[in-house]
Amino acid sequence: MTDMTSNTPSRSQSQSAADEGAGREEKRLGFALTLPAQLLVLFIALFPILMQVYISLTDWSPLDGIPWYRAYELWIGLTNYVDLAGDPRFWSAIWRTLIVMLICVPVQFLLGLGLAILFVDEFPGRRAMYSTILVPMMVVPAVAGYMFFMLFQSGGPINGILSFLLGSSVQIAWLSDPDLALLGVIISDIWQWTPLMFLILLAGMLSVPQDQQMAAVLLGAGWWRRFFTIVLPRMKTIIVIAIAIRVIENFKVFDNFYIITGGGPGVATETISIYIYKVTQNDLIWGYVAAIALAILIVLSIVSGMAISRMRKG
Amino acid sequence: MTEIVLENLGKKFGEFTALNGMNLTIANGEFVALLGPSGCGKSTTMNMIAGMLDPTEGEIRFSGKKMNGVPMGRRGVGFVFQNYAIFTHMTVRENLAYGLKAQGESASQTKRRVDDIAELLQLTDLLDRKAAGLSVNILQRLAIGRSAVVEPSIFLLDEPLSNVDAAFRSVMRSELKALQRQFKQTMVYVTHDQLEAMTMADRIAVMDHGKLLQVGTPLEVYNNPVDTFVARFIGAPGMNLLKGHVGSADGAASVDLGATGRTKVVDAKSKGDVIFGFRPEEVKPDPKGELHMAVTMVEHIGARTILHLMEGQHEAKAVLPAGSDVPNQGDIFHFNVPGTAVRLFDATTERAL
Amino acid sequence: MASITFENVTKRFGDTVAVDDVSFEIRDNAFFCLFGPPLSGKSTILKLILGLEQPDEGEILIDGRPVSHVNPARRNVAMVFQNLALFPHMTALDNVCFPLVERRIAKEEIDAKVCDVSEKLHIGHILHKTPAQLSGGERQRVAIARALVRDPVAYLMDDPISALDARLREQTRVELRRIQQELGKTLVYVTHDQEEAMSVADMMAVFKDGKICQTGTPDTLYQRPNSTYVAGMLGAPAMNVLPMNMADMLGALAGPNGSKHFGVRPENLRITKGSDAMISEVEPLGGSTTVHITAGDVALTSTMLGQPQFEAGTQIGLAVNSGQTLFFDGAGNTLAAAQ
Repeated sequence: MTDMTSNTPSRSQSQSAADEGAGREEKRLGFALTLPAQLLVLFIALFPILMQVYISLTDWSPLDGIPWYRAYELWIGLTNYVDLAGDPRFWSAIWRTLIVMLICVPVQFLLGLGLAILFVDEFPGRRAMYSTILVPMMVVPAVAGYMFFMLFQSGGPINGILSFLLGSSVQIAWLSDPDLALLGVIISDIWQWTPLMFLILLAGMLSVPQDQQMAAVLLGAGWWRRFFTIVLPRMKTIIVIAIAIRVIENFKVFDNFYIITGGGPGVATETISIYIYKVTQNDLIWGYVAAIALAILIVLSIVSGMAISRMRKG
Repeated sequence: MTEIVLENLGKKFGEFTALNGMNLTIANGEFVALLGPSGCGKSTTMNMIAGMLDPTEGEIRFSGKKMNGVPMGRRGVGFVFQNYAIFTHMTVRENLAYGLKAQGESASQTKRRVDDIAELLQLTDLLDRKAAGLSVNILQRLAIGRSAVVEPSIFLLDEPLSNVDAAFRSVMRSELKALQRQFKQTMVYVTHDQLEAMTMADRIAVMDHGKLLQVGTPLEVYNNPVDTFVARFIGAPGMNLLKGHVGSADGAASVDLGATGRTKVVDAKSKGDVIFGFRPEEVKPDPKGELHMAVTMVEHIGARTILHLMEGQHEAKAVLPAGSDVPNQGDIFHFNVPGTAVRLFDATTERAL
Repeated sequence: MASITFENVTKRFGDTVAVDDVSFEIRDNAFFCLFGPPLSGKSTILKLILGLEQPDEGEILIDGRPVSHVNPARRNVAMVFQNLALFPHMTALDNVCFPLVERRIAKEEIDAKVCDVSEKLHIGHILHKTPAQLSGGERQRVAIARALVRDPVAYLMDDPISALDARLREQTRVELRRIQQELGKTLVYVTHDQEEAMSVADMMAVFKDGKICQTGTPDTLYQRPNSTYVAGMLGAPAMNVLPMNMADMLGALAGPNGSKHFGVRPENLRITKGSDAMISEVEPLGGSTTVHITAGDVALTSTMLGQPQFEAGTQIGLAVNSGQTLFFDGAGNTLAAAQ
């Protein structure tokens, strides 16, 4: 046999011992080199939160004339949180925010999904329509707020159109009736944010492999079966992301609501963000505000945590 | 069980003609390979048979019934995609049951038939596994099983082996062929690999530039290619094609190949410029041979040796069997081509003479 | 020009041993092929030579010098990637120049080198085109040119032509061989295609699970594999590996003591008159014919030249060309041949 089978005697046993752990050393060096940057990032992310935690345990207000870092002089422990638990205005704001969210997000989702289904296939004018649909998303929320503020005036276009359609003069006081005011701000939110939902869902729908859908059709599946067994299950992750984004954003909704109704009439459209704003600007009890903000942060962290764990699974 | 007839089938995408004037009858239970390079129209043909594309011209009939306009879900066509298109978010069982459920089969029937097909394809142990992460040969079986369970009359396969490792391809080929025997269905198989077509198909349809060039059994296509494209495309290596000139010397017709030499040809029907074709396997080494070319490269591939030859403008290959005397790179190789092995093609149209 | 030597090299990734105590030598100017199934350690070997990975044990020598602690950039080894990694927005010329421009080499020198390399690779006429305008084979040559232009001591290729279609692969592998011969540089080539490996290589190493099973010329490995594994990896259709109790049927073969199996290449298995076996299937390939045979519950293949007429279902006898049998022990290792 002329084979050169491969076993030349070993030479460098001592060398190998030195090499051992080279990988670990490298990792340690890498960690050391990036440590300053990591600390900076950590600081940027954590500092405001820690500051809030600190302030929320005090009775500090900018009017007291002591700098924030000496707020410990006004230490009141968990009093702010206890107050918060018993604050009916806080709970009603939370409740109202939830109602807005529970109406807005499903409606936005269903509208967005429906539009995405329409836009998955090519049709004449698809591009132009697509750009048009995305316009509301690009409008500055404050501007959108003014738009709806005008639309909903008792002499405004909405009443005008209704009058025209019904043939008699309609004088609905949209923004002064507590229930209608809430409906008004909900409509403005849906108008503005359905396009985002549509955009995300369309991207998700387009990423469902064509051949899998074809395979389903060739196996005799109709549209509904294909949609519910192939398309939707494969979009699960992206649906979770889209809904999580809107839930979080809805919790924070402020500018257009504030401009349309200012939280009124009374507190009829006062969401949690508007409440915080009012407490901050009018009452100036910042320790209390910090406590509210932290409470919301915790709720939102739970929501996004659930979304992220869902994404990991998918 | 269905006979497929394609009559004058054509497909245009705007200005671009993907397929033109395709006439082909695929008999009941036959395994036909559509073979050609990418862009030759083979996939377009297949997609029209499946109903994914509508023909712009001509007719498709299944057992006499016109299929133009019939939606793909109602054609009774099983389709195996290039990447198998397995529903990876489902289990193996859910994949197999998909078609039956879609067609409204009862739960007990579905279970029975899925169990049967799983048994046949040796997937029983995997039924409750998620389809994601299965190996490629299992995916192939699953893809075939998923289509087969609804008992389609026609099976269409779109290059199912192109993503498979070279070493594994032969295993998959024989597995696929065995499956075709089991199901006895009419099969249309799209490929650009002549070896796959030769080894599996009953008949091969060679296509190029949206045209069907030749249909025949593997050996018919190999032995009597209708033009130089088919001659070159079939066989590994393909047929040697040398430019030459037919004239008569000493009263017998012979072809003048310039520097390469001059050799007799049997029944040359034409005179003048021709393309002289012969299979690399038909080259007979002979120190006194009429033809000679320089050896530019020698490839030993196990039992076979491929010589790469060159002389002037001519390039050719010769395949020598195990145990032959192999010349060295740089040598002049003398050889003969038996008259029966010569195929002549028209020098301008490149059609077989 | 360089020789490359591995001495007892082991590389682990976590718990998996990617390369397991491997030793071999690649001689200067060799076309050396690393061959094996996916994940058998071939690509890790390339990364170790390049210096993208460090061995956990053992030493790698280039031209006799240990390189484990030499920076990858200083090893002067070039790599052609599987996907070629050409820059799509640059012309072929800019692609080829890239490694030199990056090193701030004088323009005259760059021109001279590019001229030289493009002449060797016959790409002078396509240098103005972008990768998208080139054929698969041309792209291949441009990628090689880019690897060569910095004048490496050796170049490495990781399965560079597997993405091409069958016909183009046949052409390109011959081209690669020609280029390597003309350049006269060490080329280390990874593939999992046995035909490609045997076609291009001067020497090859067969891998399994991070270990080298056998090293030798393609001919040696084909004729004298040291195990059923190597025998099975080379040749298509694969070697028939049969139990010893079939030896009689195939005509008086006496294996050495301890023989458990014997191996016969399909081209050495002849079909004769008889009734020991049955043809199960005939695959005519044109130039040759593969016949699938069953004898009891054993499946065999025989290949022969030309287009002999056989039919499935025919009863046949079998014989073996003399002197062409290998014997294996229970563990699948080749025993010294005895006739």
